[in-house]
Amino acid sequence: MAFGQLYKITKEISNQVNIHKMKNLIILILSFFLILLMNQNVKAQDIQSTDEIQKLKQEIELLSKQNNSYKPGKSQFLLRGYAHSGLQTNNNGFSFVGGSFNPLLIYKQSDRLLFETELEMELVGSAVELGIEYANISYLLSKNITIRAGKMLVPFGIFVPNLHPAWINKFPTAPLGAGHEGILPTNDIGVEIRGGSYLGNLKVNYSFFAVNGGQLNDGMEEPEEAGIIHHGIFPDNNNGKTIGSRIGIFPFSNSSMELGFSAMYGKTGARESDVEDIKALHYAFDISYVKTLSSMSSVLDLKAQYTGVNVSDANYPEHDDPDELYTFDNKSKTWFAQLSLRPALVENPIVRNLEFAIRYSDLLTPEGAEWHVNQSQTDVGINYWFDWRTVVKFSYRIRSGFEGGHSEEPSHGGVEEDGGNSFFIHWAIGF
Amino acid sequence: MKKLQIIALIFSILFAIIIVQSCKSTSNITESKFGAQLWGENCIRCHNTPSPETFSDTEWDVAVMHMRVRANLTESEAVKIADFLKTAN
Ligand code: HEC
Repeated sequence: MAFGQLYKITKEISNQVNIHKMKNLIILILSFFLILLMNQNVKAQDIQSTDEIQKLKQEIELLSKQNNSYKPGKSQFLLRGYAHSGLQTNNNGFSFVGGSFNPLLIYKQSDRLLFETELEMELVGSAVELGIEYANISYLLSKNITIRAGKMLVPFGIFVPNLHPAWINKFPTAPLGAGHEGILPTNDIGVEIRGGSYLGNLKVNYSFFAVNGGQLNDGMEEPEEAGIIHHGIFPDNNNGKTIGSRIGIFPFSNSSMELGFSAMYGKTGARESDVEDIKALHYAFDISYVKTLSSMSSVLDLKAQYTGVNVSDANYPEHDDPDELYTFDNKSKTWFAQLSLRPALVENPIVRNLEFAIRYSDLLTPEGAEWHVNQSQTDVGINYWFDWRTVVKFSYRIRSGFEGGHSEEPSHGGVEEDGGNSFFIHWAIGF
Repeated sequence: MKKLQIIALIFSILFAIIIVQSCKSTSNITESKFGAQLWGENCIRCHNTPSPETFSDTEWDVAVMHMRVRANLTESEAVKIADFLKTAN
């Protein structure tokens, strides 16, 4: 605009002067002024843009200040957990079952210190039962050694420490022998050294622990449970601690297979009682194999665990006549094997989220005991995964064998349900 | 109880070997693997593999440390997996 106007003015003046030769000269002089003026204009723009840059700088500073206030501190935490519930139908009818919400809190106090705790809120009748599943602190001593102390899932086998959460367990139920009233150790208070390492090129992991240990039921108050080892009860009933270990070995370099060996041994009898010196040995073998089968566009997952419990001989009061004593060979064993196949690599998004699973489990408790059980259970199921931690499970459970008087159900990660053959629909969500 | 002593002995020997081995800084297979591969191989062993988009960087720091303890990962496995998850989320 300024340019056009000035040109016009210049032209007018030169017309008025009307001297042809002078005209060019005047145009030249006026153009010179014009350039000067424009230069001035550019300078003004410069000033304007430096202002803008200044403003932007200020804004960036402000933003980075704000951003800094969101910058994570050294101490970080996660509030996670899972919930599950479902329904069961069998000969006894049709009922909504289970229902638990397990909040999980993980605090990373520093690069070396970690605290984890999981609560369990379970529906029992119309009341809510609150439990602490675990609450422990880990110190990462070196690249392969972690020290842990507190209440923990006993590092024995794979089901309890790794597979029981409802969003991990492929079935609504726990295998026979696992669970709060099963024969597997659940949680306990103690200390542990654990870690992963390499022996040459062989990957291994280890855990070495000392815990309060299980407690022997001497049958004085509950004669029907004489000889059972109860886990997860506090405080300890004796001074003898139970020590144990699990070693895991990965035979293949791609970590697809893990073989685990666990053992724990310790006093179980109550202090100053007749059974004070009764000891229990728990041992287990486990295997885990996860392989992508590209030929079937699927992921195959095999898990199995065999557990044995040997309790030294003791005398227990007879049910009807407590003055009479009896004894039995207190050995139990249980095992499960499960196989699942998920066509995770197929194109179809619905088929991709399906999973087919089958599990067999078996429990044998001492014949001479009132809680003698010789049972087996087969679960077959189809799961639909909405995401990696949200699942709906449809499964059918078949039970056979001698159920015995002690028919308490495993509820750990499963549902509190009736015995017998049943159909379940169950959802689980991890968040 | 002889059986028990043998079991205890085997565990102690294995444990001693692992501890001694842990203190040496030998090179191993992990060193030659990338974070993405370690994530693919390890995070599917117990549950479905979480995708990197699940969490923010800070959340991954905590979750991977949690899994380092739970799954007995070595330090270099955990560091590589965390780095991968944080770049791919
Ligand atoms: C040894 C078995 C095992 C392996 C291997 C494993 N996880 Fe987990 N993971 C678990 C269990 C068990 C839980 C549930 C924790 C709970 O609720 O007590 C879990 C939970 C999680 C969660 C939920 C939040 C939390 O921290 O509990 C995330 C995220 C997760 N795992 C990520 C991973 C990643 C990433 C890897 C690969 C490095 C991995 N997991 C490998 C067993 C495993």
